[in-house]
Order: sequence, then structure tokens, then C-alpha cells
Amino acid sequence: MKIIKLQTLCLAAAAAWLAWSPAAKADPADASDAQVDMQIDDQPGYQPSAEEEQLAGPFERQIVFFRTTEAPGTIVVHTADRYLYLVQPNNRAIRYGIGVGRDGFQWAGIRKIIQKQEWPDWRPPPEMIQRQPYLPRFMAGGPGNPMGARALYIGGTVYRIHGTNQPQTIGHAVSSGCFRLVNADVTDLYDRVPVGTKIVVKQAADL
Amino acid sequence: MPISTPSTRRFFLVAASLFTVALAACNSNQSIDAGAQQGVPATPSKIASDKLVGRWGVAAYHQDSARQRTEAEARRQCSNPYTIKAGQNGGVIMHLADQSEPQELFLKGSASGSTYLGPAGMAAVAADREIVAISDNSFTIKWVSPDNSSRYGTMVYIRCS
Repeated sequence: MKIIKLQTLCLAAAAAWLAWSPAAKADPADASDAQVDMQIDDQPGYQPSAEEEQLAGPFERQIVFFRTTEAPGTIVVHTADRYLYLVQPNNRAIRYGIGVGRDGFQWAGIRKIIQKQEWPDWRPPPEMIQRQPYLPRFMAGGPGNPMGARALYIGGTVYRIHGTNQPQTIGHAVSSGCFRLVNADVTDLYDRVPVGTKIVVKQAADL
Repeated sequence: MPISTPSTRRFFLVAASLFTVALAACNSNQSIDAGAQQGVPATPSKIASDKLVGRWGVAAYHQDSARQRTEAEARRQCSNPYTIKAGQNGGVIMHLADQSEPQELFLKGSASGSTYLGPAGMAAVAADREIVAISDNSFTIKWVSPDNSSRYGTMVYIRCS
């Protein structure tokens, strides 16, 4: 009983403190604005929970009807829709939700996967080093690494399909041209796709 | 009747103190950085500040298995080095984590023999890094704050010629 009373006292005291505190009167708008545009930096070291990594709705990995002339095993990216398809037989595909390049960093073309890497390393982009000069210029791969659990390197470009430690960025245009999937999805794709796989990157689906 | 009498002031002082203690009790099992924030009394450092001055290739790792590879990568980062200058008060000019502007930081010894790098005052506070290894051409730090450590890992500095 005494414990309950003490907790009640603590809560009441904390509530009074918060009500009085100047911090409680601060405008919370600036915190939420950053999320609206997804103008968020990489978060090296951040390890999302299993709940955060579990996508729901259209961005959850699923088999869908997919009419294409591309052969089974081909990767097709629809940038505008934020989907990556792995073509399957019989007009089907496995669809993954992805994060894509932000405005000015999107591209299209036909390439091949030339290399695969488990737990790839990460190098902060130059603009991030400029803002945070103390950052390491190289961070070895592992949990919490912004490059996530797997990477598939796209030949003839500087771009990759890779994982992420920021699952909340799936479905958004946030990257510098790479395609990012949650770690479970990129691992699934990695296991299905050999080096040499054709990848077709489109801005939108053909009508 | 005057509002602020000595006895009234004493009452408010005592009330404020009790309030602070109550709040501390509320949070006693939550703050993982509490020990680090408090720190330990600093003793003179056994490492001279000038050992840190120079241009450094910087790389980081989270798992010990990646250390060797990280050292090699740090060496390769001399094209984009991090520069540490001497401070005016015997410290070095460096950034604290998440601070865009550098400031003078100081090497601080401790009774345990560990050496910390951070703002003047107590050693092993959350803003500090611990120097876990040092030689003429390299040093390695770990962040005292678990949050910083989780984000930035163990950082290796290799001197650029």
C-alpha cells in the first residue's frame, strides 16, 4: 500500500513538474515536421525492434499478380510505387516494399546484379560528414549498420539493393538512389537471387 | 503581510529539495547513463594531449571480429581525415558527439587507471570517450554513453602522414 502511495506521489509530483516546466510549453511542431518529409539522416547503430521491422499492408512482402514480358527470376523496380518485384512463373511476382531515391536521385535502366554481400559496410555520405565531422568515415557491417543485413550491387552504377535499420523509411523517397528493404526482406531476396540476375528499374508501371 | 519571510523561504527550499529527491526516486531505475553522468573525480592524465594532435583516418566497428578490417579502412580514410588541433588551455580541439562545432576537450585520468577525453571536470561522464588503446600512430576510443557507443561504435584513429 505504501508503495502504491509513493508511486502516486511520484506521478503527481512529476505531473506538477511537467506542467510547470518551460519545456512543457515548447512547440512540438518542429519534431513532427521532420517525419512528414522523411528528411531524416541515417541512424548508425540504431537497432529497430522486431515490431518496427514487421511491415503491414501493401509494403508487406507478398505474392501478387504481375503481368510482364520479363523472365521469371528478373527483378523489376517500380520507383514511383515503391515496390520491387521478383518475377515468378505464371504471371506472379513476389512484391517487396522499398525505399527509393529522393527527388533528383532517382534513375531508370536495365542492369545486372554483379555482387552480393552479407552485412555490408557503410560509408557516411560526404554531406553527412560535413554536418557531423566527428563521424567515422567507415563503419564495419553488423546489426545497427545503416546498410542493413544484405546488399546486392547493381552493375554499372553506384547503387545497391540493401537492407536498412530504419524500417520507417520503407515506402518513402529517402535515399541517394539505392533501393532499401527491411532486413528480413533483403535477406529473403538475397537468398533467391544469384549474381547475374537482370534488374529493370522503371519510374512507374507500363500501362 | 509580506509574502517572502525567512520562514516562507525556508519552507520553499525544503519543499523544493524534497520534490527533487522524490523525482530522483521515481527515475532511479530508468537512467542507464546515471552513473556515467555522475562520473568520477579526474586525476592528471598519463597521456599527453599532443599525442592526439594531428590528422587522422577514422573508422568504427561494433563487433570485435571487424577490428582488423576497420583499422585497414581507417588507414585508407586519410584522403578525408579528421584533424585534431591543440587547444589554448592544454587540451585538444575536437567535437563532442552530435555537436557540429568543435571545442576544447581534455584528457582526464581516473583512479582506475582509465583515461577519458571530454569536457573539463569529472571523468567518465556521458559526454566522454574512454581512450582504450594508444600508440604513436593510432588510438582507439569507446564512448562512455551507451547511446553514443551504440550509434558510433568503437572508433579507431590512424595517424595520416
